[in-house]
Amino acid sequence: MLTNHSGGNSVAEKLACSPASSGHPWDGPKRWYPNGNLALGYNPPGVRNTDSALPLHPSEPVIHDYACDGPAPGNLAFRWTYGSNVAAKNRDPRVQVVQYNEDTFVLRQNVCVHWEAPFTYLLFGNAGALLIDTGATANARHYPLRETVDAIITRWGQARGRRKVPLTVALTSGEDVAQNQGLVQFAGRPDTTLVPKPLEVMKRFYGLESHWPSGTGAIDLGDRVIEVIPTPGAHKDGVSFYDPYCDLLFTGDLLFPGKINIGNDRDFTASLERLEAFAGSRPVKWILGGHIEMMFVPGRYYPRFATYKPYERVLEMEPALIGEAIRYAREVQGKDMMLIRPDFVLFNGVSPDQRTRVWPEGVPYFSPPRPF
Amino acid sequence: MDRRSFLGYNAAAAAIPLSGAGLAGLSDAAAAATRPAPVDFKSNLPASGQFPDKWICGSSSCMDNTDPPVQVHWYNAHTAILRQNKAYSYEAPFAPLYFGNDRVLLLDEGFVQLRNDWDQRGVVDQCIEDWCRRNGRDPASMELLVAFTHLHADHYAAANQFADRPNTRCMGLTHEEMVGFWGMTEFPEERVTLDLGGRDILIWGSPGHVVSEFAYYDSYTQILFTGDMFYRGRCYISFWQPWFDSMKRLIDFCDTHPVTHVMGCHVEISKDGQDYAYGMTYQPDEAPVQMTVQQLREAYAYAQTVTEPGIYFTGTVFLCNQTRGTTTIDQNPYRYS
Repeated sequence: MLTNHSGGNSVAEKLACSPASSGHPWDGPKRWYPNGNLALGYNPPGVRNTDSALPLHPSEPVIHDYACDGPAPGNLAFRWTYGSNVAAKNRDPRVQVVQYNEDTFVLRQNVCVHWEAPFTYLLFGNAGALLIDTGATANARHYPLRETVDAIITRWGQARGRRKVPLTVALTSGEDVAQNQGLVQFAGRPDTTLVPKPLEVMKRFYGLESHWPSGTGAIDLGDRVIEVIPTPGAHKDGVSFYDPYCDLLFTGDLLFPGKINIGNDRDFTASLERLEAFAGSRPVKWILGGHIEMMFVPGRYYPRFATYKPYERVLEMEPALIGEAIRYAREVQGKDMMLIRPDFVLFNGVSPDQRTRVWPEGVPYFSPPRPF
Repeated sequence: MDRRSFLGYNAAAAAIPLSGAGLAGLSDAAAAATRPAPVDFKSNLPASGQFPDKWICGSSSCMDNTDPPVQVHWYNAHTAILRQNKAYSYEAPFAPLYFGNDRVLLLDEGFVQLRNDWDQRGVVDQCIEDWCRRNGRDPASMELLVAFTHLHADHYAAANQFADRPNTRCMGLTHEEMVGFWGMTEFPEERVTLDLGGRDILIWGSPGHVVSEFAYYDSYTQILFTGDMFYRGRCYISFWQPWFDSMKRLIDFCDTHPVTHVMGCHVEISKDGQDYAYGMTYQPDEAPVQMTVQQLREAYAYAQTVTEPGIYFTGTVFLCNQTRGTTTIDQNPYRYS
């Protein structure tokens, strides 16, 4: 089986994706190397970020080197679970864990536990860990997020010779019930900081009281400082996170390959513009949102509440998509309408189930076979 | 036998001359002697029956649902109502199973195709077996009619599970075959009578939600089954005038016939009138499936004031007049200014 995920460190990866393409990482003009690219050499700089397995019984905590040229190597090489035709008979894991790299994990809620199937991100640094978002289900029997996170932290701590790993739990939006429900599972957890949910308290936590939404905050994980960018628009308390180690931008409900419900169109456009400026000043490899609702054919998406999504688009988005989102956010601003693009759909002032017969010009229309 | 004569054809009566023609062995004679008297479906009407207080209605986590794929509720000894589990399909349709002395009528087959996903036919076979045991019949002698209210997949998807079942007639999946199955030539006004063996089902056309839809009235329980053109939820009206005319036919029918309950195929509304959005898999506080004739009359009265496409609430149901392809009821809860 060939794979065209060539990892983050290849030169080809850095070629800008044409905004006219679908924004899909393996679409576009760049060449891909299924058998590796000999021209890059055997010992690219990224290898030094992946050295923690060597000491069998480390006498002291391993200090990992988070300084790197370009994005830290990492990959989303596995298929997301996609539910089943009969949701009650699904036997996939309730929380799917994908290791992006040794210090970065992507967790996804099973779509047969909750149709929103949100993504949750777990990042490690030398001084602690950060959990971004907490899923759509509070009941730990249905959705054992805390148990899963604890297991990953324990495993990571063993590899790094650390007994204590302080955890911070932050949300891309405190009000979003598709992301804040699992928070209660972390109540009372030792060595844990929960970023407060109410907007004003949250601003204070990030030190943004006086410059919301123009400033940025930071969460220092120890040699890995996660930046917090206020991005209201989908939610009035929306924030995005930037990881300078993997060069990933976590945008929650603001920008994701799915049906983006705009909460306030002026804020939405302004936040995307700030995000674009931010991304222009930092290297960004991928944007990772909170959900997937698009199919892998352009402009087609799953309806709300679907529990079987075999044709999902991949999670990752190219940074060029911010520009496209800005362009079309301006187009819907001030109008009650929905607008279909190949990689996302904007809903402004209309029902989340709104439909339209307007199809974007120049985008081919494919109908994937109905599974049922 | 043509379509028309099969409606009134009585299989048991036709079988008697055969066994009486000198071929009857001991076992046939014994069977005839022990065959119980036919159930009387014509006296003491309407036959009483009970709807459950609460149907299975999904669960907050689908994969943790432990309910059966379909709930079988016996409304009375000769009438079962099936309700599909929301965790098996969000459509969760209701499907009555009417028993007569010679035939069983299954109206709607639920939103499942493969028996591997779940076994609708096994459930129906079990119901027939239970009824036959209680009433001293041989299940093999009961003809099963696999019909449906209208030509949408959540109502006929499981029909193919019955394709190889003995002693079974399946309604075809075209308008022509559906109308022909009931021997109609004057759809939708023509009203035909289906004889299940002492139990009459009255059937007529009810287009509006789709072109190919019927209303079914059971003369025994006097339940009027209105399919998807009128049910406790969002009545998606694709064709307004035909739908309005169908409503008029239902009202006219209620003027001339006793009706105990009006029953639709789905419930998409809570007890206090909240809409459960399309596709939801958990309806913890859902309204009952049965409605009164009064509620039908109110909806008809309301419909007389409707002149434009749009979504209207009659107090019982939502009338979604030609809106299905464009808009819905719910709002983005996170909007702010």
